[in-house]
Amino acid sequence: MSSSRTETGGGAPAPGTTIVDVTMPQMGVSVAEGTVVAWRVGVGDSIGADETICEISTDKIDTEVPAPVSGVVTEILVEVEATVPVGEVLARIAVGDGAASAGEPASAAPGPAATPAAPGPAATPTAPGPAAPPTHDAPQSGASSNGAGANGSGTGPGAAPMAPGPAPPATGAPPRATRSPGGRRYSPVVQRVAAEHGIDLSQVTGSGRGGRVRKQDVLAFIESGGSTQAPAVTQAPASTQAPAVEEAPLHIESPYRPEPVAPPAAGSPTLSRMRRQIGEHMKRSLETAATCTTWIEVDMSRVEQARARLGVTALAFVARATIDALREHPAVNAWLEDERYTAHTEVNLGIAVSLGEDGLIVPVVHRAQELSAEGLAARIKDLARRARSRELTPDDVHGGTFTITNPGQFGSIMATPIINQPQVAILDFEAVVKRPVVITDAEGNDAIAIRPITILGLSWDHRALDGALAAQFLASVKRHLEGLVAD
Amino acid sequence: MTQLTYLQAISSALRDELRADERVLVMGEDIGVFGGAFKVTDGFVEEFGTDRVMDTPLAESAIIGCAVGAAVVGMRPVCEMQFADFISCGFDQLVNVAGKMHYRQDLAVPITVRLPSGGGFSGGPFHSQNPEAWFMHTPGIKVVAPSTAEDAKGLLHAAIRDPNPVCYMEHKHLYRRVKGEIPEGVYETPFTARVAREGSDLVVITYGAMVHTALEATEDLDGASVEVLDLRSLVPLDEAAILESVERCSKVVIVDEANSTCAAGAQVAAVIAEKGFESLDGPVVRVATPDVPIPFSPPLEQVVLPSVDRVKEACRELLAY
Repeated sequence: MSSSRTETGGGAPAPGTTIVDVTMPQMGVSVAEGTVVAWRVGVGDSIGADETICEISTDKIDTEVPAPVSGVVTEILVEVEATVPVGEVLARIAVGDGAASAGEPASAAPGPAATPAAPGPAATPTAPGPAAPPTHDAPQSGASSNGAGANGSGTGPGAAPMAPGPAPPATGAPPRATRSPGGRRYSPVVQRVAAEHGIDLSQVTGSGRGGRVRKQDVLAFIESGGSTQAPAVTQAPASTQAPAVEEAPLHIESPYRPEPVAPPAAGSPTLSRMRRQIGEHMKRSLETAATCTTWIEVDMSRVEQARARLGVTALAFVARATIDALREHPAVNAWLEDERYTAHTEVNLGIAVSLGEDGLIVPVVHRAQELSAEGLAARIKDLARRARSRELTPDDVHGGTFTITNPGQFGSIMATPIINQPQVAILDFEAVVKRPVVITDAEGNDAIAIRPITILGLSWDHRALDGALAAQFLASVKRHLEGLVAD
Repeated sequence: MTQLTYLQAISSALRDELRADERVLVMGEDIGVFGGAFKVTDGFVEEFGTDRVMDTPLAESAIIGCAVGAAVVGMRPVCEMQFADFISCGFDQLVNVAGKMHYRQDLAVPITVRLPSGGGFSGGPFHSQNPEAWFMHTPGIKVVAPSTAEDAKGLLHAAIRDPNPVCYMEHKHLYRRVKGEIPEGVYETPFTARVAREGSDLVVITYGAMVHTALEATEDLDGASVEVLDLRSLVPLDEAAILESVERCSKVVIVDEANSTCAAGAQVAAVIAEKGFESLDGPVVRVATPDVPIPFSPPLEQVVLPSVDRVKEACRELLAY
C-alpha cells in the first residue's frame, strides 16, 4: 500500500484521528522518482478512498494517485512540478471520528467528494491502488505468532472475533457513518425511494449516525408531504450544456490521422518532460550498450495473404514470428544489467507506440508467447489505444524482455533503432514495399517476380551477443514469416 | 400433537420411515446395539433387526460408499456420521461419487447423510465443526439444517424421500435443549426458508442453532422490529425469501456458526449484494466464527462462537447506521 498510518496524539488532529500518509508510488522497477503534475484536492478537502488525490508523471507513464483511505486532507507536502523519490510523503489524510475537525473547514466544503460513508467493514487503509509498493502495513496478525493462519487472511486465532461482527465495539464496528453532514452519500434504497417520489434528499433530515439519511427518514419525509414540492425528476437534466466531446476513434492501425494541431508557437522555451526523459534514456542506452544493427530482407507474400484473410495487421505476424524466433534463441530475449545477464523463457514483448508530438511509450504484451497472431493484434490494439488515452497502468509498461518498433507507416524502409535498456536487442519493422525479386522454382529455374518485401533491422548489444547470433535470429524470423502456413 | 425434543424428533422421523418404507435402512458406527453415540437410534435394532440397522466399521468412506451402492439399486439408506467432522474420511464417496452420479450416469442416489454438527459444548476441534459449506460447494448435493424439533422431523422425512443425496445437518447443541410440538404422523418440511419472527427494521438471516441465538439477541433490542429468517435449507437456497426479507427490512445481519470464509452466510451476502442491492440501507453485516479451529477450552470457545452479545451488538450498530 502506498500508505502508512500513525496515531497522532497532539497537534491538529482530534483524538481518535488517524493520519495516513500518501506517498509517491513505485511505478515500475526502474523508476526511482516521480513528479507531481497537479493536485486535485486542497488542504481541508474531504476525499474518498480511491478517489484521485493528485496526478503524477514518471519517466515511464503519467498516472493518478488514489487516496489510500477516506478522510480529510490535512497536509500537502509536495508542490506541483516538484520531483521527489519513490516513497516520499506527498500528502497526509486524517481518518476517524475527529477527521472533520482535523482539516480546516471540512464541513463547510460540501463538495461532491465529501466524506463518503464508506459502506463496508472498516474502510481503513486498504486502498487497492494500482501503485502499491510494499511498505510496512502488511497484515501481521495471521501468519506470525500462531500456527493457524493457513489461509493467510490475517485472522489468526489471536485476532479477536471477526471484523464484521462488531465484537470489540469501536474497532470492528461495521460502518462508520460519516462525519461531515454537508456532503452525504445515500444508500441504494434511499436513492431509489427518493427517485421514485421525486425527493431532493438534501431537504431530508437524517437520523442515522453522523446525520446519515436512513430509509426511515425518507419514508417519514414522504409521509409528511415533503415530496409534493416537485414532480418526479427534481434533479433536472444538467446536460444542456455542450455535448460531450467525442473522442476520435484513433488507434495504431487506423489509416486516419488527426488533423495536425497547430504547433505551439515556434521556439517554445524548453522540451516537454517526456521528451527530456526519452532523450536521457536513448542517450544512456547508446552510452551503455555496444550497439550494432543487422538487416535482413523478408518476402511478405504469405503474411500479406494471411493478414488480408484475418483482417489483422502485418505487425501482429511479425510479432508472432519474432516470439517464435526468441523462443529458439532465448539469448536474444534477455536483459543485461551491468555484468548481470538474464535470459528469459517467457516473452514480454514491448511495442513502441507513438504518442505524436508528446513522444513515445513502450507498453508490454506480457507472456506474449501464449498468444496467436490474432490475439497479439487485439492486445497491441488495446495497448495502443490505452497509451494514447493515457490509461496505461504501471504494469502495462513494466517487465519487457524484447521490443519491436514499427514506424514504417510513412514509407521509410530502414532504421537503426536504439535498444530499450536493459534489453539486449530491438527489432525494427518498417514499410512493406513491392519489389522485383529473383525467385527460384521447384525445378531450379530462376525468374523475376514482384513480391512484397520488407527489411527487418535488429539492433543488438555486442556486449551480450555476437553478429552471428543476430543473423541467425533474423533468419529465424524470416523463416517463420515466409513459411507461414496458409491455412 | 406431542412434545418432542429435537433429538426425539429425529428418532421419530427415522422410525416412521423405517416402518413405512422397507427400502429405508440406517447405517453407521455404533448405531445398532449401542443405539448411537447420541442415542438417536436407541431401540432400533430390536424393532427393525440388524439388516436394516447396521453397525459398520469405523470407516466413513465405506459407510457412504455402501450407501451409494445400495441407493443405486433402489434402497433409501440413511448414514449416520458419528460427528459431522468425521465426514472428511468419506468425502470422496459423497462429493465425487454420490454428488456426480446423476450427472454422469443418470442414476439417482437417494441417500441421506446425517451430520451431527456444531459446537458449544467443549468438544474441541474434531467434534464441533459446521462443515455445511463444503457440500454447498458441490453440485448435486442438497444441504438442510433444521433449527426446531418440528423442522428436524419434517426435513428428515423430506430428505429421505428426496431422490438426491442430502446432507442433513443436525445440531448437537440443540438435541436436548430444543423442544416443540410435533404434528402427528409423517409430514415433509419443504426445502425453503421460514420467517422465525417477523420484523421491519432489520433482518437477521441464519440457520441451525444460530436461529435461537438470533431470536434471543433481538427479542428486545431497544424497541426495534427485528425479523429473523431461518434458512432451513442451504441447498437449495431460498433466494426469494431472502430477498423478500431484505426488501422489507433493508438492513441485514447474517449469522453463521461456521468459520467465516466462504460460509453459507457469505453466499447469502453475495445473493443480496447482487439481487437485493436496491433495497439496502446499510452494509450487509456478517457475524461468524473466525477462521480458526474450534478451541477446546470452554472460555475460548465461547469467545470464538457467535454469542447473543455479539449478535446484539452487530444489530445495534447497524440499526444506528
